[in-house]
Amino acid sequence: MRTAPPTCFFEMVGIGEYYPDLVSGFSMTMGLYLFALFLGLGLGIVLAISRHYGGPIVTRISTGFIEIMRGTPLLAQILLITILPYALSIPAEYTSWQIIVPDIYGIERVVLNTRILLCALALGLNSAAYQAEYFRGALSSLSAGQTLAAQSIGMTKRQEIRHIALPQSLRRAIPAWSNEAVYLPIYTSVAYIVGVPEFLSAATLVVARTYEALLVYFITAVIFLVLVSFITLLLNRIYERIRIPGV
Amino acid sequence: MVAVLEVRDIWKAYDTLEVLKGISFDVQKGEVKVIFGPSGSGKSTLLRVINMLTPPDKGEVFLCGQSLMDSKADLCKLRTRIGFVFQNFNLFAHLKAIDNVSIGPRLVLGMTKEEANDAAHRALEKVHMSNWSHHYPAQLSGGQQQRVGIARSIAMNPEVILFDEPTSALDPELIGEVLQVMLDLAQEGTTMVVVTHEMGFARAVSSEMIFMDKGVVVEKGTPQHFFQDAQSERAKHFLRKLEVLYGQSETEKT
Repeated sequence: MRTAPPTCFFEMVGIGEYYPDLVSGFSMTMGLYLFALFLGLGLGIVLAISRHYGGPIVTRISTGFIEIMRGTPLLAQILLITILPYALSIPAEYTSWQIIVPDIYGIERVVLNTRILLCALALGLNSAAYQAEYFRGALSSLSAGQTLAAQSIGMTKRQEIRHIALPQSLRRAIPAWSNEAVYLPIYTSVAYIVGVPEFLSAATLVVARTYEALLVYFITAVIFLVLVSFITLLLNRIYERIRIPGV
Repeated sequence: MVAVLEVRDIWKAYDTLEVLKGISFDVQKGEVKVIFGPSGSGKSTLLRVINMLTPPDKGEVFLCGQSLMDSKADLCKLRTRIGFVFQNFNLFAHLKAIDNVSIGPRLVLGMTKEEANDAAHRALEKVHMSNWSHHYPAQLSGGQQQRVGIARSIAMNPEVILFDEPTSALDPELIGEVLQVMLDLAQEGTTMVVVTHEMGFARAVSSEMIFMDKGVVVEKGTPQHFFQDAQSERAKHFLRKLEVLYGQSETEKT
């Protein structure tokens, strides 16, 4: 028998038994979220710079990537990336490896395997396309004069991007970028469809066991709301702290 | 002695619009060259051509005998020796005044942080902005921003500084503080090329004035020449207009 979870609330509403599933589902969602967000951040900056400053070929490559990722459904991308290996007859569920870690109640959970990794990758690549456009928008909003000024004191293009354009445009992008930061955790739910044990799939499991659909999905939604509010608050704080005085 | 700047037969067109049609002049060490003329005459383009912010279609620019158009020359290196002061200041918005000035010496001239800061402090002192070194551009008045812009140029210790209508974006009461800084620089023997309509400044320090119209040099001469017996109709007409605009006193001042 499991030890009693410390939350009276879940006990009270009669799903206390499934508390650990929800917790590990939520952790999986956060894992997917953070991985996709930071992969998207890094790749998004690279894409934005190459689309904004690149030569004809580089610009086309990044534009093509961005438009394809934004122009096709995330679900289709996730299905493609998880099914494609089957079409290439690679599996034995992706050549069989997985990382299993006991959760806080000692129940063993799969925290990482090829499927989860592919899913996180798809989320990250998709997010990168959207993030790139936020950064590109901020890059184009910088005054051309500062570029001239940087050149006039002998800065190279690289120095100008690194020391003048990026510090300003990254700051400027935060309000728009926060869109992506709050949308992405909700968006990770799509991973449920290819069988990644994230938050929505845990909730669905609980519904299947208890038939408490309205209650469980409502709680799920509220938890997402709290999470998103927290992220918003955090980003506002960061924005206020690093904003350029007087601008 | 080799001229600091040699501008040789510069041509530049934007599509079909010919902006510069064969401009040539030399700038010797310690000279203050004032370029003036109606808007659209190509003055700003000319300044940008000099440090290759806008490469010309034809012609050549030499800095102390070295061509800026030589494909083997390191353009970034050559640009460090030509200061540029912009009409709209163009300070780096995310950097404090002191960092706006020190970033060049640090990143481009390869000074250490301390050396660059020292250089920046000296430059800010010259433009009387030491007390504002920790303010961001948006917290400064236009005149103060322009003085920081000038400090950013002189901190690089350039051979020549180009001024592109440095006071045109300023409120009348702020023009004086910027002109004073420029007068000080001129009197210290700084080599300068100044596009301006401040005829008082031109009269006080310029060694030669160049009147441009429609992409050509119409007339060159000393301030005396222009204010006493300008030859071309266009120059006379333009100077009269400036007088009407700025008042007789401006041209009467010494």
